[in-house]
Amino acid sequence: MLQTDKIKFSYNQEEILKGIDLQIKSGSFIGIIGPNASGKSTLLKNMSKTLQVDSGTVYLNHKLLNDYSSLELARKMAVVPQNTEVSFNFNVYDIIMMGRHPYQKRWSGISKNDKKIVNEVMEVTDTFKLRSKLIKELSGGERQRVIIARALAQKPNILLLDEPTSSLDINYQAEIYDLLNYLNQKWDLTIITVSHDLNLTAQYCEQLILLNEGEIFASGSAEEVLTEENIREVYKAEVLIKSNPLSDKPFITLIPEVNKFKKKKEKKEFKIHIIAGGGTAKKFIYKLDNLGYRLSIGVLNIGDADWQVARELGVEIVEAPPFIDISDNEIKRNKELIEKSDLIILSDLPFGHGNIANLEVLLDYANKPKILFSNLNIEKRDYIKGKAEKIWNKLLEEDDNIVLLNDKSQLISEIKKLEN
Amino acid sequence: MIENKKNILIFLTAVLFSVILIFLALFIGSTPIEPADILDYIFNNSENISTSTAIIIGEIRLPRIILAFIVGAGLAVAGAVFQAIIRNPMVDPYIIGISAGAGTGVMLALFLGIEIVVFNLNSLPVFAFLGAVLTVFIVYQLAKVGNKLPVLTFLLAGVAVSFILNSMMSFLMVLRTENLQQLVYWLMGSLAGSAWKDVRMILPYFLAALAVILFYLKDLNILLLGEESAVHLGLNVEKTKVILLGAASLLTASVVAVSGSIGFIGLVVPHMARIIIGPDHRRLIPLAALIGASFLLLADTAARTIMAPMELPVGIITAFAGGPYFIYLLRNKSKDIW
Repeated sequence: MLQTDKIKFSYNQEEILKGIDLQIKSGSFIGIIGPNASGKSTLLKNMSKTLQVDSGTVYLNHKLLNDYSSLELARKMAVVPQNTEVSFNFNVYDIIMMGRHPYQKRWSGISKNDKKIVNEVMEVTDTFKLRSKLIKELSGGERQRVIIARALAQKPNILLLDEPTSSLDINYQAEIYDLLNYLNQKWDLTIITVSHDLNLTAQYCEQLILLNEGEIFASGSAEEVLTEENIREVYKAEVLIKSNPLSDKPFITLIPEVNKFKKKKEKKEFKIHIIAGGGTAKKFIYKLDNLGYRLSIGVLNIGDADWQVARELGVEIVEAPPFIDISDNEIKRNKELIEKSDLIILSDLPFGHGNIANLEVLLDYANKPKILFSNLNIEKRDYIKGKAEKIWNKLLEEDDNIVLLNDKSQLISEIKKLEN
Repeated sequence: MIENKKNILIFLTAVLFSVILIFLALFIGSTPIEPADILDYIFNNSENISTSTAIIIGEIRLPRIILAFIVGAGLAVAGAVFQAIIRNPMVDPYIIGISAGAGTGVMLALFLGIEIVVFNLNSLPVFAFLGAVLTVFIVYQLAKVGNKLPVLTFLLAGVAVSFILNSMMSFLMVLRTENLQQLVYWLMGSLAGSAWKDVRMILPYFLAALAVILFYLKDLNILLLGEESAVHLGLNVEKTKVILLGAASLLTASVVAVSGSIGFIGLVVPHMARIIIGPDHRRLIPLAALIGASFLLLADTAARTIMAPMELPVGIITAFAGGPYFIYLLRNKSKDIW
């Protein structure tokens, strides 16, 4: 167990760590995240005795870190530093064997046990095939695996890593974190990694510690730490947080240019009601929201792709549970929103029993301007044997306020025409 | 393993080469000596050879050969150690001013007329050592930028300190005008006039420093990984560095005390050895010692025969070979120089 108690550290009179309290249980997989200069690397260095804390204490297994000799510590804790560039040409086997240094006496050669352990760590890190290569011949990902193998050869209980994937291509990043995950699960190794990659740490680490200006801003599970509010506060960035469908972990997307827009954006008076579903509107909802239109949308099934986007953007939604017909109550609320709006947009959504009411409702508002997407023929979108087509045709006959939009990219200019 | 066989072969070759060189150096010289006489000297206790030949072999050439061996090995090993600690292959006791520091120490001792001998231990190497250590410290402090030691500033600081020390030596030399030629030769690096007493003078210091370095061979490898990694592997980096810098300075000082500043062996030889056998110091240091010894013996034999009966300071020859090599290293900085 690793514990820090109010540790502070300053560099050049600037306080980098302002009293960090941490308790890291054996066997956990911790990610320390935070913006540049938040003190995450410094914290790691204080926990590994690379830097001496100015005040406060660090305990490893209830013993003061400073009471460990460097050899003792090297048998308990291994560190993969940020810069693993090696400027000399040892071969991979020799480099990994150096991890056995804390166990070897000065004149003793390489023992059977040393060999056994080195073979073991080469196997788990998949570096066996590299063993007679020179370190400089390796790719970045291979070199990182070798350095991790050397750290594992120390047979530590705790492995600390400082930005282990910062200089690696995406495929190697996953490879390294998969390896760390395996070591955490199968070898019961406690892993603490510093990273600026929020998504990677969110996927793999069971606990995240978010640092901001030398203090712990938030800690807990990825869901608890990676919230839009936290990220806005700490990183000054607007992000979308979705759930990664493969792992159910939060997945962060930076909203392009939204940071610029948000500040300038003034809400317009023009109100648009959108009728969509199945992800047919998600692209233009972003655009319209960015342009400052007041949006409402309905009726959408909960969990629908358009529903997710609308919810993220805070658009007013009339929502319905999926797989059943839209109820009268929802139709009523949808109508209320339509009545308030200046324009109705009907996307190229398909129609079935469940949502036909969304099309029917348009018949009641002959005097409202409408944009109907007509790029997909209504026959192809009709899953209720011509019923939708019938309503569609009736609408076109009776209603003079319809703009048919064949080319989706013209949507904004059409809206602007109607707006004026 | 094949690797091991290869290494044994390398060492056998190096030893064989050294033995041949010693033999050659014994009979080459301003007074030619028959190889048969040398064999006679070695195996028959010089019964059948003239006294003068016996003196040339036993009192002039042999001590000189042994001294060349010690000095060459010492400079090469010191160079390899400095390179590992500074983690830069362009460092050498001569370039970074340690030789000059040791030389100034010796010069000062001679100038002040201090020469104490206690139990066969001569004080000259001690003065050289003090000069060397002081120089290492000054250069190190001058070159340090924050916590880092940039190579370029280190080299420049070394060169600057060398200049100052060399002018101090020249100044002391001018003040003390007797034996001027001998001092000039010494300053340029020379083994001329070596005798058994020189061997006796430096041997204890040389062996002590070498023993310390051999004790720390594994640690030198770990140091190469970078100081941070070395700490995490359980090495007491600061202590190890101080001990090794001290030992390498003593090694340099002991050889400078007898031979003056012989340049570039400490640079070129470790590099050659590294190309042959790789960066592992457990093999590199012994091989560098052997190559350094042979290299200096070869250069010294050339120094005393090229213009015989006149002698060239051997430092001229080593610098002539080493200077271009240094330029080559500088130009190839981006490539694999380790």
